[in-house]
Amino acid sequence: MESVPLTWEEVARVYGRKIYNFAYRLTGNSDDAADLVQEVLLRVRKGLASYQPGSFEGWLWRITRNAFLDEVRRRNRRPTAPLPDEVDRWELASSPSADAEYSRISIGDDVQKALLELPYEFREAVVLCDIVGLSYEEIARAVAVPVGTVRSRIHRGRKLLRESLI
Amino acid sequence: MSHAGEQISAYLDGELARAEIDQLQAHLATCGKCAGELQEMQVVRSAVRSLPLLELPPGLIPEADAEVVPLRRNKGFLVGAAAAVVALVIAIAAIVTPSTPSVALEELNSRYGARASLDPAFGPAKVVVPDLGDILE
Repeated sequence: MESVPLTWEEVARVYGRKIYNFAYRLTGNSDDAADLVQEVLLRVRKGLASYQPGSFEGWLWRITRNAFLDEVRRRNRRPTAPLPDEVDRWELASSPSADAEYSRISIGDDVQKALLELPYEFREAVVLCDIVGLSYEEIARAVAVPVGTVRSRIHRGRKLLRESLI
Repeated sequence: MSHAGEQISAYLDGELARAEIDQLQAHLATCGKCAGELQEMQVVRSAVRSLPLLELPPGLIPEADAEVVPLRRNKGFLVGAAAAVVALVIAIAAIVTPSTPSVALEELNSRYGARASLDPAFGPAKVVVPDLGDILE
């Protein structure tokens, strides 16, 4: 039986980091990821009152995905600088072991860059699977596509990553 | 069967039924192309999963600061854990018997600790640890 967080605070505590990592890997930008976390939690706070017991993960990630896409559409409507594609170092500045941490992150720079080059649908499927850790069934519910489509997107995404990385 | 295609990713993610696994494994035993693709997909999958899991910026969610909650990995994580064990064994074997594998693949393996595991059911529990008494004898 799936355990369903009952309060907004519990959702924030349990899923905040997951949402942040989802958004960071989709955008490559920590400020955008932080904005998305706050937007998602706002929507969760509003939506929890009417939440019907079922697949909480599917519900939460559908909200997260929709919030992300809404933000992308909003930005596309206004003339601003494009999202930077390099790792933003601000979150490391206060760490006593910032150099070690940056070294750890820069190892993944090429992987992050390759992820950002994927078409959105493939990137989203790969990130939900490999970063967030959702099953194909959970991804299908979140993205509202058949499981077979999820399977296809993940595999095609990985094949494109292979061309970039290997 | 024709080439395995997207079944390979589903296999690595633990998303195939037992009958599909048996069918795929039989195919992999006779198809070098698919066996190679499986290995490369495992490298790619491990590379993405090796990305650092970032902490929330301090103060972003005060409710979350008090507790560090590890990210859940789905059952495919066991494949990754098994791959890490396999990678370690391969690394030791490579020291003993140097070979000349694909440079790009080997470089990624060394960077991300990735290596294909042909059986998703394989896990660290299957690693045989010799009894201390056997070693001392």
